[in-house]
Amino acid sequence: MARRVLGPGQKRVSAGGVAADTVTVLWFVFALFPIVWMFLLSLKNNVQQTSTYFGFTPTWTNYLTVLGSKGEQLTSVDFKSAVLTSVLACAGATAVSLVVGIPAAYAAGRWKYKGSESLMFQMLSFRFAPELMVIVPLFVIYHYLHLFDTTVGLIWVLQLVTMPLVVWILRSYFQDLSPELEQAALLDGYTRVRAFFTVALPLVRPGIAAAALLAFIFAWNNYIFPLILTDSNATTVTVAVTKFLGGGGQAYYNLTAAAALLGVLPPLVLALCIQRYLVRGLSFGAVKS
Amino acid sequence: MASLTLDGITKSYGKTRALTELSLTVADGEFFVILGPSGAGKTTTLKSVAGLEPIDAGTVHIGGTDMTGVEPYRRNVAMAFESYALYPQRTVFDNLASPLRSGRTGTYTAEQQQKRIGEVTDTLGISHLLQRFPRELSNGQRQRVALGRVLVRPAGAYLLDEPLSHLDAKLRAAMRAELKQLGAMSSTTTLYVTHDYQEALALGDRIAVLRAGRVVQVGTAAEIWSRPVDTFVARALGQPEMTLLSATVHDGRIRTADGAVDVAAPTGLPRGDVLLGLRPRAVGLGHRDDALTVDGTVRLAERLGRLVELTVRSGDTDVVAVVESAAAPAEDSTVTLSVPTGEVHVFVGDRRWGSLAGKEDHDA
Amino acid sequence: MSALSDETAAPPSVPAWRRGIRPYLLSIPALAVVVGILYPFLSGAWYSLLDYSAGNTHVKSVWFANFADVLGDPGLWRSVGVTIEYALLATVVETVLGVGVALLLNRSTLIGRVLEKVLILPLMVAPVIAATMWKLMFDTNFGILNHVLGLGHTYNWLSKDHALFSAVLVDVWVYTPFVAVLVLAGIRSLPREPFEASDVDGASWWYMFRRLMLPMMYPYILVAVIFRLMDCLKIFDIIYALTAGGPGTVTTTLQINAFEDSIIHFDYSRGSTYMFLLWVLVFVAARFLVGVLTKAQKRAAGTEG
Repeated sequence: MARRVLGPGQKRVSAGGVAADTVTVLWFVFALFPIVWMFLLSLKNNVQQTSTYFGFTPTWTNYLTVLGSKGEQLTSVDFKSAVLTSVLACAGATAVSLVVGIPAAYAAGRWKYKGSESLMFQMLSFRFAPELMVIVPLFVIYHYLHLFDTTVGLIWVLQLVTMPLVVWILRSYFQDLSPELEQAALLDGYTRVRAFFTVALPLVRPGIAAAALLAFIFAWNNYIFPLILTDSNATTVTVAVTKFLGGGGQAYYNLTAAAALLGVLPPLVLALCIQRYLVRGLSFGAVKS
Repeated sequence: MASLTLDGITKSYGKTRALTELSLTVADGEFFVILGPSGAGKTTTLKSVAGLEPIDAGTVHIGGTDMTGVEPYRRNVAMAFESYALYPQRTVFDNLASPLRSGRTGTYTAEQQQKRIGEVTDTLGISHLLQRFPRELSNGQRQRVALGRVLVRPAGAYLLDEPLSHLDAKLRAAMRAELKQLGAMSSTTTLYVTHDYQEALALGDRIAVLRAGRVVQVGTAAEIWSRPVDTFVARALGQPEMTLLSATVHDGRIRTADGAVDVAAPTGLPRGDVLLGLRPRAVGLGHRDDALTVDGTVRLAERLGRLVELTVRSGDTDVVAVVESAAAPAEDSTVTLSVPTGEVHVFVGDRRWGSLAGKEDHDA
Repeated sequence: MSALSDETAAPPSVPAWRRGIRPYLLSIPALAVVVGILYPFLSGAWYSLLDYSAGNTHVKSVWFANFADVLGDPGLWRSVGVTIEYALLATVVETVLGVGVALLLNRSTLIGRVLEKVLILPLMVAPVIAATMWKLMFDTNFGILNHVLGLGHTYNWLSKDHALFSAVLVDVWVYTPFVAVLVLAGIRSLPREPFEASDVDGASWWYMFRRLMLPMMYPYILVAVIFRLMDCLKIFDIIYALTAGGPGTVTTTLQINAFEDSIIHFDYSRGSTYMFLLWVLVFVAARFLVGVLTKAQKRAAGTEG
């Protein structure tokens, strides 16, 4: 009897298999329902948002309201400029982390030198430090330096989010790369700088892309920094979304849903782009997919 | 083209000593082979010459110039890595063109690059692979590309790290024969690392045997083969390995404990324990004059094509002999083995003292 | 060779110390950023020794009075309790569910392969937005959950008794995929031979799971667990958006508590004291994590057997 060779933990088709499929589907219903429901809710008008669950006349106007001046009147936050701030701050923070982090990651991945482990540890400890520990002093410092409620101020503080990610992920990619490739380039007659740029860097491009996009996503999703360190000038999307819920007296469920969807769309799209490299990034390089 | 001089090179990785006071001199244009088991420090030696691994002590001279602290790209040496180290994102052609485009190995127009690459790939039989990527090649093909990246350029010295190890047996034999004939290689100083004694004997103008980061012996193939400085070198060369019999010198006789061997000791051999080394191919069947004779029973007869490898039990020890299959005795038969006294190596305290024919002085 | 040009003269030698400082030079920019972050960080630690608040113009050192004050405050211990309860509950549930989901997806059925593509979507939703979305669904009168689950208009998801669990539910929704993708990648990187061998031996699925898979998956699960546990200890976004710590103090975690003191009541020193205590806890845990992570990373990079 020929038995199909099975991978770890795989099972043959059986009644148990059907049950497992059912549970799988149930999980995804749970996982996807909130997103689907937000989409439906965002298409309802002001009356139907509280009067009906599934039967309604879809309309796109909520999105226009959120992005338009009416949304601004309701929440005192300009959603469009919040999007712009988020894009600028997150892209800026990611860029700074890449420029500063790539050399450090390369150094840590290539050499065993005194202090390299401490530096890496310091980076990681930022990732897990309670944000308020930094925010409270920054709150004071930023007022003093006129960085409060500015994009530059956000870029600085978002290093806490983006820097550990970039350095840890890229170190694992550089470690993965055989040093003999660069050595071969040195013997071909290229200087260390040229060997780095023509040989090492192109080979870790997937790692750079993964690190950059993940850094952008997590910076985008951050809430506590902009909540405390910005006001109306440099509000980010995450803060803007929550404003729709709290706004004076009336709750705008449909507008909140529309704003929420606008807020999650960029990370979702970016994440789907780097799915192959996501696991390694999420685990700071510890798990390879 | 340049001579190489390594003087007192010491190198540690953390607590592990890789090289200990290693000194070698390679003449201009010489084909010099470093032979040793894995972990002996062969690759580290090459990388020290190339400047890829900083050394803890010692100096490296290339063409008479002190290159000890000089960056690799200024040393004008080319190296083929055992791991190939081909640039995975570039085609074979671009891999081979890389040293020609750096500007440090000369200036080449596109046509000149094309011509040089064409010559090298023709010789190596890889000209049909030029547009492929390294991941699309077999290990043997990759190894030839790595070799090509060395040969395509002029250099003061070629450093080759096990360049034939991943070829299949047939190709390896063919390449071994061709390698020395290659135009570039015949005129360029070459430092060649291998663990294969046949390669070393076939290729090396001179051979250095390395053990645990130290040079054990340097000499021509003939010297190393016929006068190994100690049992390590003796056993490193030859397949099957040299048989070593422990014996005692007493009253002018050399005897093994079981009495299987009892011969007259050469003059000057000090009393005490010695090892007698017999190369399987030096062992013949039947009595001979001026020979060490051993009687025994054939325990095993393994056919190696034209030859037969006999394991003969004599007393408590096994003696290995390789003989013509036509003359080979059957298993369990009784035989007499003999080795000319001049080919019986005598080791005292692991160092070679000479042969049964007398003491020899080493000039290694 | 003639000594015509400098090129034929001795090439420049790079002394050992210059080779030695290369990695440090490369790390300097990163180090500068680290210092830029450490400065406020250390200020925060310093604040915990002061009586610093927005209203206080004569700031002076009070040494460990804040710590004595805070440690003697039942409010702190309540929030410690809430934090630990939240962290443990969320981590355990996410780990169990995450491993379960990974095992289900590892079966690689058609359905699984399609759904796997969207597995990470909840993880990419900003936690604060996730909480906002769930808050809409939790709504007692108009929320979809009460409607779909047939709970009428009476069940209050964010009441005193339920708020913490509801917050954990949101955390589970967001972060279970995190555990699942890590563990799934881990399972897929396992060698196949032992499973094939025991499959031929006719071992039961449970036996294979317990004796083969679980021990081999352990490092991956550990990485996921530590990440989750440490993130949960400083949970803020989800709870702030969902309940802002209420009702009363039932969901007031350490960071929420510090937020109220420092930002709402402008008592910087008191909030910093909380955070300093939490940071010590996290620091110790992070030390442990780095060991695990470095080892796992080396294995992933293939630099270690």
